[in-house]
Amino acid sequence: MAKAFKYGLKGITGYLEPAERELLRSLFDDVISMLEPAEAASQDPLAALVGLDSEAREPSDRAVRRLLPNVSRDDDEASLEFRRYTERSLRESKIGALKAAALGLDKDELVLTAADARHWSTALNDVRLVLAERLDIRDDADAEHVHRMQDWSQAEDVESYLALVYNFTTWLQESLVQAMLASLEA
Amino acid sequence: MTLSVALGPDTQAGTQTGTAASTDVLTAPDIPWNLVIWNDPVNLMSYVSYVFRSYFGYSEAKANKLMLEVHKKGRSIVAHGSKEQVEQHAVAMHGFGLWATVEKAEGGAGSGKGKGKRG
Repeated sequence: MAKAFKYGLKGITGYLEPAERELLRSLFDDVISMLEPAEAASQDPLAALVGLDSEAREPSDRAVRRLLPNVSRDDDEASLEFRRYTERSLRESKIGALKAAALGLDKDELVLTAADARHWSTALNDVRLVLAERLDIRDDADAEHVHRMQDWSQAEDVESYLALVYNFTTWLQESLVQAMLASLEA
Repeated sequence: MTLSVALGPDTQAGTQTGTAASTDVLTAPDIPWNLVIWNDPVNLMSYVSYVFRSYFGYSEAKANKLMLEVHKKGRSIVAHGSKEQVEQHAVAMHGFGLWATVEKAEGGAGSGKGKGKRG
């Protein structure tokens, strides 16, 4: 079993079983592949250099849309323009955090620097956002329903398996954030 | 956070003084826009509070108050500034996975003569 993250003299430490590390690695990889832009970088090298993406569109996949949300509630045009200027680098920074977290999965014992912890917390958060979309978690009642699923012997279908995975990543992120909050106090 | 290209240097984990200063020196035409954080059933309350503390440099009390406002009222205005500033905050919040939008402040200087749109 994984051990909760803790803040101590060595920084933030945690422990994961090999199977848990494999699971997290595949989750991180899944989200990375969702975030990789469909087409190669913009043909205009100057535009690519400044991160401008004139082809950017609101993502059709709900989970991707949650990772890369519109910046305006009621002005689609403003959202699209913002997306063209910012989405590429947002995708890249998310992918960077997910890759950094995946790289740290080589050992059972996790010892995280402050930067590692930030990468881990956003990577776990993005994984949870994607799983939550797949599980149709729309409100607190849905979240509570999924949360009740705790017994791995009940995992009979994809949905119950996803719910258990979601609960595991929730627990792991919560313990990490508590350790990060403790490090702010120190 | 590690948001690279699109962000200026001042978004690096803004300290309390840094954030306060940058909001104070705004010029009139650029004010007022709001950064809004919306509730969702996924983000952990502890995480939202951590983001408010580490990114904006807010105190624990202020961060928790804003986080609870998001949770209970469905949304909270967590920062003000010029359009550019709140947009920069918004992309940083998206980097953390928080659901952030920007909107023109209501009742602020100059908004009276505008159309005043509201979602």
